[in-house]
Amino acid sequence: MENLGYLFAAYTIIWAVVFGYVLFMHRKQKKLQQQIDLLRESVDEWKTMDDK
Amino acid sequence: MNGKHSLRNNILLGLGFALMVAALYMVFIYVPTDKYTGIVQRIFYFHVPVAWVSFLAFFITFVFSILYLWKREVKWDAIACTSAEIGVVFTTLVLITGPIWAKPVWGVWWTWDARLTTSLVLWLIYVAYLLVRNFATEPARGARFSAVIGIVGFIDVPIVFLTVNLWRTQHPTAIIFEGGLTTPMLITLLVCIAAFTVLYVLLTIQGANLKSMETDVNRLRNTQAE
Amino acid sequence: MNKLFIRILVIFWKDMLTELRTKEVITSVLVFALLVLVIFNFAFGMRADGMEFVAPGILWVALTFGGVLGFNRIFAVEKENSRLEGLMLCPVDRAVIYWGKLAGGFTFMLAVAIVITPIFLALFNLPLFLPKLALIIVLAIIGFAAVGTLFSAVAVNTRARDIMLPILFLPVVVPVVIAAVKATVPVLAGKSWGDILTWLQIMIAFDIIYLVVATLVFEFVLEE
Repeated sequence: MENLGYLFAAYTIIWAVVFGYVLFMHRKQKKLQQQIDLLRESVDEWKTMDDK
Repeated sequence: MNGKHSLRNNILLGLGFALMVAALYMVFIYVPTDKYTGIVQRIFYFHVPVAWVSFLAFFITFVFSILYLWKREVKWDAIACTSAEIGVVFTTLVLITGPIWAKPVWGVWWTWDARLTTSLVLWLIYVAYLLVRNFATEPARGARFSAVIGIVGFIDVPIVFLTVNLWRTQHPTAIIFEGGLTTPMLITLLVCIAAFTVLYVLLTIQGANLKSMETDVNRLRNTQAE
Repeated sequence: MNKLFIRILVIFWKDMLTELRTKEVITSVLVFALLVLVIFNFAFGMRADGMEFVAPGILWVALTFGGVLGFNRIFAVEKENSRLEGLMLCPVDRAVIYWGKLAGGFTFMLAVAIVITPIFLALFNLPLFLPKLALIIVLAIIGFAAVGTLFSAVAVNTRARDIMLPILFLPVVVPVVIAAVKATVPVLAGKSWGDILTWLQIMIAFDIIYLVVATLVFEFVLEE
């Protein structure tokens, strides 16, 4: 069972990088959601201003 | 927006998970240890599919770059760009796991053989793709320029591979396998390739949707500012 | 057909005249390439023996990096003088602009090579009359110019203009560099055509492929 360390390192890195990428996308999505919410708010504001 | 696709997405998700579990089982329990290089050889079962998927990703970028330059649909640029990103991530993995496998087996971290060298050049070309997008003066230009890179860069790949191959046949090269691939090894490899391909599809769908939404949101914000 | 050719010639000639008047780009690139030759000589320890292994590499590093510097200027000069928009307003086929600039870039690199190569050969005590080397250099420069002209137009429209060109250019021309160096080694050792035939074929194939692809794709770079 020599070189088990190498095997472990390789698989861990693959897992870590893929997981890291998924995390990165998740964060982008959260930021996007925030922007959409902001937009929605300002659209509502415009609507209420138009109504007045 | 994900509504009409959510059945497809859920099936892909389930399939991907099942395939990954199957792949892990086959790599660590089913397939016998290679008698020539020992247990480290099992890295091969993830290293090769990752390399294959990165190549697939760049091919998709190539195709959708052409489509985008032709029809200018934002969705197509989103797919091209996401695919390039994933391709770079996976190529990075190839370049990391390759040396981890090479060191115990051949005693060196790196060898300028055709596959590794082409992977390195590929990585550099598509990092340039992402940098051009980042450094463009406006997003539309970035999309156009990177589409050009996506096309020109992909065409380079076979040329680089052939040239490096020719260069290396003048030197002794390391042999990957003393024997051939036995059937259990082949099945394991195929399952792993399938698992990673599904993973690629999932990541691309997710990422492309995200990018399309980003473009829409930015457009909305710009019109709102006026 | 003739009209196209004349238009290409016009663009080429305009650039030639501008450069001949100031000579600023050619002098700086020549000095730079010369410096590369000298510095690399020091970097490799100035050994008398074993130099035949590093000499080809040194020549091609000098030409490649000199080329990157030069190609940056192909479109940078238009951008800086706000002539880029004017150029794009001309009702010519974009490919014409590409070939005009390409001719300029090629001639420029050829001039650099003509000056640098004899100096290189003399510094390394190699024979000066090497027609095979001339062919290798011409083929390689065609490849460099084909890619460099296209990417120069891209890079000049980005924010990190000067660094963007090498990042784009160098990975793509790897096959040319490999083929050029591998072909130069036997030529400097006095071997025959047979040894370098495959490398010449690679360079010719690269040149043709990239000239065609760049011509097709160039219109997308100079849009709006």
